[in-house]
Amino acid sequence: MPKVVSIHSYRGGTGKSNFTANLATTVALQGHRVAIVDTDLPSPGIHNLFCLEPEQVEKALNHYLWGEIPIEAVAYDVSANVGVNSGINGGGQLFLVPSSVKADDIARILKDGYDVKLMNDGFRHLVKALELDYLFIDTHPGLSKETFLSIAISHVLLLILRPDKQDYQGTAVTADVARQLRVRKMLLTINKVYSSLNVDALKQKVEETFGETVAGIFPLSEDVVQLASEGVFCVKYPEHSVSHEFQRVAKEIAEA
Amino acid sequence: MSHLGDLQSLANSITAVTSPFRTYLNDLHQQYKSINEGAIADYIPELTLADPSWFGICVVTADGRVFEVGDCKQLFTIQSISKAFVFGLALEAHGREYVSSKVGVEPTGEAFNAIVLDEATNRPYNPMVNAGAIATTDLITGYSCTERLKRLLDMFKRYTGRDHDINVPVFLSEKSTGYRNQAMAYLMRNFGMVSDSIDQTLDLYFQQCSMMVNARDLAVMSATLANGGKNPVTQEQALDERYVQDVISLMLTCGMYDGSGEWAYRIGIPAKSGVSGGITAVVPGQLGIGTFSPLLDVKGNSLRGIKVCEALSKDFGLHLLNAAQPDKILADWLNGSGQADQW
Repeated sequence: MPKVVSIHSYRGGTGKSNFTANLATTVALQGHRVAIVDTDLPSPGIHNLFCLEPEQVEKALNHYLWGEIPIEAVAYDVSANVGVNSGINGGGQLFLVPSSVKADDIARILKDGYDVKLMNDGFRHLVKALELDYLFIDTHPGLSKETFLSIAISHVLLLILRPDKQDYQGTAVTADVARQLRVRKMLLTINKVYSSLNVDALKQKVEETFGETVAGIFPLSEDVVQLASEGVFCVKYPEHSVSHEFQRVAKEIAEA
Repeated sequence: MSHLGDLQSLANSITAVTSPFRTYLNDLHQQYKSINEGAIADYIPELTLADPSWFGICVVTADGRVFEVGDCKQLFTIQSISKAFVFGLALEAHGREYVSSKVGVEPTGEAFNAIVLDEATNRPYNPMVNAGAIATTDLITGYSCTERLKRLLDMFKRYTGRDHDINVPVFLSEKSTGYRNQAMAYLMRNFGMVSDSIDQTLDLYFQQCSMMVNARDLAVMSATLANGGKNPVTQEQALDERYVQDVISLMLTCGMYDGSGEWAYRIGIPAKSGVSGGITAVVPGQLGIGTFSPLLDVKGNSLRGIKVCEALSKDFGLHLLNAAQPDKILADWLNGSGQADQW
């Protein structure tokens, strides 16, 4: 059965888009059919990691939400951009449904809003039309309609936080909302962890605080920072410990 | 208005959007929106202005969850659907015995506007045909027409949770062409079955039929009946729970004009329809259905609305007399659990 995974963080700058891109690519490289929907309509960005240039994106998620086009028509096959080759890797494929980066399009969404039902119907339709194994939903930080919808619809909710007080508080709020929405499975990942921190103690503390499993811990890594926003890290450095951590998270999701 | 906290009420509205049950309703909407048979009611010009493509489906559960697909906010005149609820109001005001001395409970098999009274008792056959509805509207208490109209509108507000307007052009049109209804009223007056304030009662009757509602209102109204007379969204008691079964049983036997017998046999969900294209249907203890599509069959019932109720009845085993295991378990589809959790 297809799995829907939402990736969310309460505050910006947690590395959410980078994390989503790496995780989705890791899963696609294992031979699965995967799509990412960028529901961050006010501040889209994940397309950069897949080298999808704005001039290649004639139509985006926005145009689906305005009823102009079916959602599968704005799913761009980015497999080749990240070395996922369906011929060689046994059927894996990676699609991206981007949000528009045109200022007019963003303004129209902010001004008129959109019907959240259409977003839901679009997710379900996309899974069927592309015969997906996994749908990853990248969200806007904070709590909004898209956040609520993506949490309610997902089989797995991944909350990303940094080890600081503001993120702890915000994540607690999000976790409360997620429980209210009867989320099926919640996983936490901690990102940008200083090398001076004791990883095991951190994991234990976070699990106790939120009562949920920590699926992965990622260091504040210069290697990753260098490549950030230019490409997908785990493709370029498949043997790096960070890439291995993504594989562990992917395994946790597969078993959820 | 809501008894829930803001977070829970927002969470509920979102889980209603993501529920497989709404996806199911969405599929029905897709499937039936292409039906273009039937005709829009044209006995007054105002009704012909309806757009044949309008189509809304709303289901509200007895615990207050709202599932909407399509044109659920589009307003239309309630028409005959009002009759079932006014019957409840009359029962509350006068009790069963008195009301049954003025109007019977037998299906007629005649058209809704037939000029016919029970020969033995001089009563109209039931409150769902025009004659019976005029007799029940006559039972709405109040010293002035304003007070009686207010009582009527207050009742609908308890059922839907919001204020309703009367569509004045429709009201005036109904009033100026309603000779048949006037004839019936005078016939009943002749037998002493209605009070002597005939013109006032007829005005009230035409106003009641011209009240504006949408598909969501119809679903909340029937969910209120399904929930023992208590509006499941606002928690307000709209009808004394003792009279809920009176209203629902007449919807089952007389609610769908002269298509009622076949409706009870095939679909088995107590319902009331109106010529503007609305249907409200009650599954006691479980849910209310509201549909709106102005294309009508020859008996005056909404074609797409019938299809929707038929599919819901069949798929979820909602026929009142059903004893077989249904294809789909309603609770699973509402909650997104079990076999319904399919992508």
